Amino acid sequence: MSNKLLGIVSVVVLLIVVAFYTLDINKNYKSLTPQLAVAQIMHDPDKKLPIFSLLDHNSNVFNNDGLKDHWSLLLFIYTHCPDVCPTELANIAMLKSYLEGEQAAVIPNVIAITFDALRDTPKVLKTYVAHFDKDFIGVSGDQKNIDQLVKYFGAYYERVIYDDNDKPVTLKRNDPLPNNAIEKGYIINHTATTYLVSPDGQVLAGFPISHNIKNMANDINLIVENY
Amino acid sequence: MLNNTKTILFALIASIGFTTANAAHPEHQDSHNNHQITITDSWIRSAPTNAPALGLFMEINNNTNQDIKLVSAHTEGYKRIELHRTVDSNGMMKMIKQDFMPISAQGELHLKPGSWHIMLIGPDRVPNMGEKIMISLKFNNGSTQIVHAVVRKGKMMMKHHSMH
Repeated sequence: MSNKLLGIVSVVVLLIVVAFYTLDINKNYKSLTPQLAVAQIMHDPDKKLPIFSLLDHNSNVFNNDGLKDHWSLLLFIYTHCPDVCPTELANIAMLKSYLEGEQAAVIPNVIAITFDALRDTPKVLKTYVAHFDKDFIGVSGDQKNIDQLVKYFGAYYERVIYDDNDKPVTLKRNDPLPNNAIEKGYIINHTATTYLVSPDGQVLAGFPISHNIKNMANDINLIVENY
Repeated sequence: MLNNTKTILFALIASIGFTTANAAHPEHQDSHNNHQITITDSWIRSAPTNAPALGLFMEINNNTNQDIKLVSAHTEGYKRIELHRTVDSNGMMKMIKQDFMPISAQGELHLKPGSWHIMLIGPDRVPNMGEKIMISLKFNNGSTQIVHAVVRKGKMMMKHHSMH
């Protein structure tokens, strides 16, 4: 009888410890929020990065291992984007220079995954992404794998074509592009958050666009210190 | 004494004349002015050599008492040139093609990253940093303005970048 009671007590204690531990992990990052200028904590220990396999801009495999053992700043882009994506990439390049200048403890790898694998082949990305910083890594590959990551990160995109009357038509996710889409061109409306990924592949925070570089650098340092 | 006075008077008149002449023919390199519309700080964001589209930005001042519209832009060496506006719709960045850009009477329109911009699509060759590209802009009041947009890096974030 007392053994049974002991067993129950042990289980309860164990559950409490587990609950505390889990809460504590969450708390560690969420509790940073008042000190963060621009970053939004996204950490969810229950949400594991899906298994993916893509190609980097040298056509080498870029999979989950590409986000392991170092910090990463990850963003989604497309090269036909004349405004938002170059602004984001230029800002992240400035942020990286700033972190280097400040001799920050961590200089994250920058991973730019295309929304638009059809037009943004690894070769295209190599020339494009290197313009902003030679160390940036452009990632393309199977669109389904990309879409899976887009969803996981909470990003979103939609393709817009122009019909014969020059009116914009927003395509649904699985709608095929018309045959003349490449020739006529299409644009992509998309979210523009940059994500901070820890060396164990957890998405810790997101930075909305229009970030102040110094604030962003401070936020990254703070999160890294509390990792 | 009289000679001295004459010289001073002559110098004074000459200098007034010179100032007036200067005012009548303002030569400001970056300002394109037909008195009705003033365009300043026109620039193209430097882009990768394979960039499929480039952003053109500037500040347009309408010095008239009528609302005007920028209806088109033209330059050689691009497949298409469109007027666009980036709109942040709950975090979704939408690029919306515009038929025109409105500049209110005595008002201004700032074309800048993340906002109104002219999209230069399908360049034959992406211009290099520092190059100046001649662009002609057509307005609905019948006037055409020529600007020489310089290719440079964006400085959008520098504005928000507090340095104190």
